[in-house]
Amino acid sequence: MAADPALRLQGVGKRFGRTWALRSVDLEVQPGQLVALIGPNGAGKTTLLKAVGGLHRATTGTTEVLGFTLPEDEDLVRVHSTLLPPHGYLYEQLTGLENLRFARLMAGVRPSRQEIDAALERVELVEAGDERVGGYSSGMKKRLAIARLLLRPVELVLMDEPYASLDAGGIDLVDTIIGELRRSGATVLVASHRWERAIREADLLVVMERGRITWTGTPGEWMERREGPADTRRGRGAPRGAGEADTGRGG
Amino acid sequence: MTEPTASPRLKGWHRLLAFLAVATTVVGSLIGLFVVPPDALQGNVQRLMYLHVPAAWLAFLAFFVVFVMAVLYLIQRDPRWDMIAAGSAEIGVLFTALTLILGSLWGKPIWGVWWTWDPRLTTTAILLVIYVGYLAVRSFAGDPDRRARWSAVVGIVGFADVPIVYLSVTWWRSLHQPPSSPMSMAPSMLWTLLLNVVAFTLLYGYLLVRKYQVAVAERALEDREAMR
Amino acid sequence: MEVWLRTWAILWKDILIEVRTKGTFTAMAFFAALILFIFSFAIGPDFDLLRRIAAGLLWVGITFTGLLALARTYHSEELAGGLEALLLYPGEPRAIFLGKLVGNLAVLLLVEVILYPVAAVLFHMDLTGKVLPVAGIAFLGTLGFSVIGTFYAALTLHLRAREVMLPLLVLPLLVPVLLGAVSATAALVDPAAAGGVGGWVRLLIAFDVLYFVVCTWTFPVLLER
Repeated sequence: MAADPALRLQGVGKRFGRTWALRSVDLEVQPGQLVALIGPNGAGKTTLLKAVGGLHRATTGTTEVLGFTLPEDEDLVRVHSTLLPPHGYLYEQLTGLENLRFARLMAGVRPSRQEIDAALERVELVEAGDERVGGYSSGMKKRLAIARLLLRPVELVLMDEPYASLDAGGIDLVDTIIGELRRSGATVLVASHRWERAIREADLLVVMERGRITWTGTPGEWMERREGPADTRRGRGAPRGAGEADTGRGG
Repeated sequence: MTEPTASPRLKGWHRLLAFLAVATTVVGSLIGLFVVPPDALQGNVQRLMYLHVPAAWLAFLAFFVVFVMAVLYLIQRDPRWDMIAAGSAEIGVLFTALTLILGSLWGKPIWGVWWTWDPRLTTTAILLVIYVGYLAVRSFAGDPDRRARWSAVVGIVGFADVPIVYLSVTWWRSLHQPPSSPMSMAPSMLWTLLLNVVAFTLLYGYLLVRKYQVAVAERALEDREAMR
Repeated sequence: MEVWLRTWAILWKDILIEVRTKGTFTAMAFFAALILFIFSFAIGPDFDLLRRIAAGLLWVGITFTGLLALARTYHSEELAGGLEALLLYPGEPRAIFLGKLVGNLAVLLLVEVILYPVAAVLFHMDLTGKVLPVAGIAFLGTLGFSVIGTFYAALTLHLRAREVMLPLLVLPLLVPVLLGAVSATAALVDPAAAGGVGGWVRLLIAFDVLYFVVCTWTFPVLLER
């Protein structure tokens, strides 16, 4: 008996004023899958992640997430999912520790020093925990945002450009964490410009352009289409042609 | 989501409404200006009442309509309610301004000043500012969805304030002057007044229908542009 | 329970940030006092007149300072990148309104603690023996102001011409609050003033309750995206 899909989007569109950020998106994702979203800026990756996370109400189409229907069950979807935004949304006048405390309180939980310390340790920010975020480098801010994400384990994790601002160690950290999330059974969607390990190992690759899904398949298939059978490339950007429209296997 | 449609042409009952609105307005105005005898105390200036009172009635009716439409919109999210609200607000603000101007014109010969802090007039002045705020929010909001939502909220919160403002200004004024006794009116004056109230209400209804049709056409245009 | 944790989160966070951004509160308090000074100069040394209109001048000062404070309601969020800083976390959106409301109320009340004595001195208001009732009225008036202001601060956040829109939307609604607070304060403080305090207090309470309910209930609409 097939389990319900973690995500089912049919004909989903999202309009902001006069522009359509998403047009007629069809997508189905099974629970536990790792899905990579690639595409140029403005392709609609962020809007798609937010629509899935219950942070944007779709203008058209049906959106089902984790068995819940949006927008009616928006609140439930937001409880069971979490978004790592490209921008950290951190308060610079507060310390790293205080930002995490705030996050816990806002999630309706009394913060515990142990869990916060554990999260900081995981992202290797323990020494900087007592410093104001205003003094952090962009890589450190990203790590803090990841720590915040880890504090609330959920079934659906949405990551928007998780590799941005990170050095090689940070990139490795993200890849490792994505791996851990998969093993814990979570469904993970990652939007990225960078072609890192997690992207290469994704179960499903979704290519977007100008609000539409232009191609879906496995990363292996994608690389064969573009490069011919090739060795794996280490993170310097997606294979050529990720930005081109493609009427091959449609979404 | 239901998409509103309306033909830009006048349907049968629209024509009837237009005819009645114009007819009653013309008749009512003529009677008010020429037929009905002038007030014993105030003379011919008092004839302004036949315009001022209906205009005031409409100013508040229009905002009440905005309020009802706003509530309906927030519950059902049907864009038609929002369009009616916007139309009603645009008509209402004109009638509110008219009420204030006529009130001022009426007041000068009677009380000798252009403005008195009469509770009703003061409340109307504040209503005007609330209207302007409502229309400003519509004008400055980014996309149609936000525009509808935010103006609905402003309409609801604003309307709730009107009776409170009236009450507080009445108290405030009563501290400084005895309340004015209500005008007693001869039957012929009362009938003329009622006729004009009905006339203005019909006029409002007709204008609202036209505004709605314009709003539907504008929206269709917006949608077509957005799809490109 | 969760709602209170969220409310507390916002209040705590805003207090921390305010304390660490030295100078903002002090500037606001000085600004308020300055307004009262300017009134004195504009009106002249007619002490009788000043005493009679003292409550009104005081509340005009509170209003202008209040508008400044309200405009900064979401300042820390704007610096953090936007309202998403609060919307990232699932939970009751009304907690955001409550947290910000208490924050604004606290700031304004603190400004008034400074402002009332300044007004008493400048305008020769006699507050002896009436501090508690005057404070009570100040609280009720400030609460009404804060409820409406915090609500519209969220609405105008993404609106063009926002510095103008906030006062435009807030001030007409505040007429009953201003009338009530000024009349009641004047009745308490100025022996020559007409009218009783009781009616105005009831009006202020009714206003505060009504708008607290309406604004809290409707607040989630403002946060939808």
